[in-house]
Amino acid sequence: MRALVVEDHAALAGQLRDALAEAGFVTDVAADGEEALFLGETEPYDAVVLDLGLPRLDGLSVLKRWRAGGRGMPVLILTARDAWSEKVAGLNAGADDYLAKPFVMPELVARLHALVRRAHGHSRPEIALGRLVVDTAARRVLLDDAPVRLTGLEYRLLAYLALRAGEVVSKTELTEHLYAQDFDRDSNTLEVVVGRLRRKLGEGLIETLRGQGYRLAAG
Amino acid sequence: MRRPRSLTLRLALAAGLWVAAGLGAAAWFVTDVAVRQVETAFDARLAGLLDGAAAAVAIDAEDRAVVTRPPAGADFDRPFSGAYWQVTGPGGVVTTSRSLWDQSLPVAMEGHAVILLRDAAGPRGEPLRVAERDLLLPGATGPVHVAVALSRAPTLAEIARLRGVLAGVFALLGLGLVGGVVATVVTGLAPLRQARRALAEVREGRRDRLDLIAPAEVAPLVAEVDALIAANRATVERARTHVGNLAHALKTPLAVLRNALAAAPPDLAAARAEAVALDRLVQHHLARARTAARAGAGAAPAVAPLAVAEEVAAALRRLFAGQDRVIAVTGDAAARLRVDPQDLTEMLGNLMENACTWARRRVTVAVAGGAMVEIAVADDGPGLPEGQRGAALERGVRLDEATPGAGLGLAIVADLAALHGGSLELGRAASGGLCATLRLPARGAVPAG
Repeated sequence: MRALVVEDHAALAGQLRDALAEAGFVTDVAADGEEALFLGETEPYDAVVLDLGLPRLDGLSVLKRWRAGGRGMPVLILTARDAWSEKVAGLNAGADDYLAKPFVMPELVARLHALVRRAHGHSRPEIALGRLVVDTAARRVLLDDAPVRLTGLEYRLLAYLALRAGEVVSKTELTEHLYAQDFDRDSNTLEVVVGRLRRKLGEGLIETLRGQGYRLAAG
Repeated sequence: MRRPRSLTLRLALAAGLWVAAGLGAAAWFVTDVAVRQVETAFDARLAGLLDGAAAAVAIDAEDRAVVTRPPAGADFDRPFSGAYWQVTGPGGVVTTSRSLWDQSLPVAMEGHAVILLRDAAGPRGEPLRVAERDLLLPGATGPVHVAVALSRAPTLAEIARLRGVLAGVFALLGLGLVGGVVATVVTGLAPLRQARRALAEVREGRRDRLDLIAPAEVAPLVAEVDALIAANRATVERARTHVGNLAHALKTPLAVLRNALAAAPPDLAAARAEAVALDRLVQHHLARARTAARAGAGAAPAVAPLAVAEEVAAALRRLFAGQDRVIAVTGDAAARLRVDPQDLTEMLGNLMENACTWARRRVTVAVAGGAMVEIAVADDGPGLPEGQRGAALERGVRLDEATPGAGLGLAIVADLAALHGGSLELGRAASGGLCATLRLPARGAVPAG
């Protein structure tokens, strides 16, 4: 899953990047409004953490321009301004959630996960697919109620397929959502990871549709 | 037309127009009276001459009219002197003064026993005034027609001179009046100019306050400006004190935090505790800053509670998306409050978010107009037992530690409502949940304290 962190305070941006990486997100950081606008318009993010007080272009304008341009990814506003008038302005400009500083990292991560699930139509953190359960809050995968040990990339790929369960996900879409913007993308790596997942979860779960992509059976 | 911006110019223009109209009418009236006076005197003199001529007319044996002696008072002998007489006897024989020479006067129709006065052209085309009448003399076979004429040229010249003099006098009078008005205005506005100079000096820091002895009309303005300056100074002073307090309050936890982190194994528990303390300090000072800012704010604009509730509902629908909440906002769209819009958003945001958090499904917001506008926010959640309702309004009390929120929400709403002369009351909703009723003074209502 890919996330964009828009925050001009370098230390906080670093902390956010680390925390989101631990939570299974591949994270890009934008330090000003113009960069954020460009990245949000061109990259397929699954979630955005947006500070409002930004250099060059303020966060609310960035958000409005994304929404006006048809970009619908979940956006969580993270700001020091916690008056309700500002909350209302942010939410009615198209934000999906609002968190006031100071905040604790687990809450931010939980809310961001909830936003991503909601965007894919799941209301609970556990996505149950027959024998397989993907717990996006705890980052755990259970097969027949037994925990499965996965690497970070394996988990991210499986979690993304689980969110889109029943749908065909192309390799391009997967690479876009699993790797950072500046990563050297190689679809062979993807096949290797899928192969490893099949060995750990059994052959039948992840289906390969030649020339189209992969599909995780729903339920 | 654009109005002139200078007060002096405006008053001078208005005075000029008024004076011109008034003096113009007066000048016309006075001139008219004077001209009539001159003409009446002239006619009287002419009538006198006619009487004199008539008295000297006699009828001779051949039934001719003869003027026995020329009437006195005018030069009837010098040819074309401008003074003429002419007598027509009963037989039609015409006798004239020497001044007419070989000419005659244009005589009007005969048969006037009273004096007829009219203007006519003289033998040389000059303007004449002719007086004529018929006489019945004893022994005559018919009436004798007597006519006397005088040139109007001297009278016309006199009238022209009179008009000139009067016009000059009235023009001078008008100029004098306008000048007087301008002088009055300039002197009258002097206190304002003085106040402006003093205000500029206050801005430049050369004096503390206006402190002027001003006339009664300007004194309240000066007093208000002085009060405003004092209020501004107090606000700045308060802000400075506040910033100082905040900085000092932050220093101690910061010192502890640095020490805790500098220890050989960093004392993370202590650092965490200080971070919490810092957070609480910031919250406290922010709340104080808001209240202080509101205390100095001027009159709030009219705000429609229904529209604000709709806005908050739209935001909450996003916030609670996917959690199956129905938020219904109904009521009086015409109701207006005398409350700061941001404060109203703060109150409704807290109440409605609280309702959404506790509701099973439905949240209703009902606005009812009146001198006190009532906004009732109700949910279909578990509600709050009567004994706990008072505690819920106390600052910092949280009834359920497991539900997110700073624990200040309802207390903030109650504080804000009181600040605006209203109240917050907690009760039981028809559906069994909590019903929070916010009462705020409508625009136009007198605040209760």
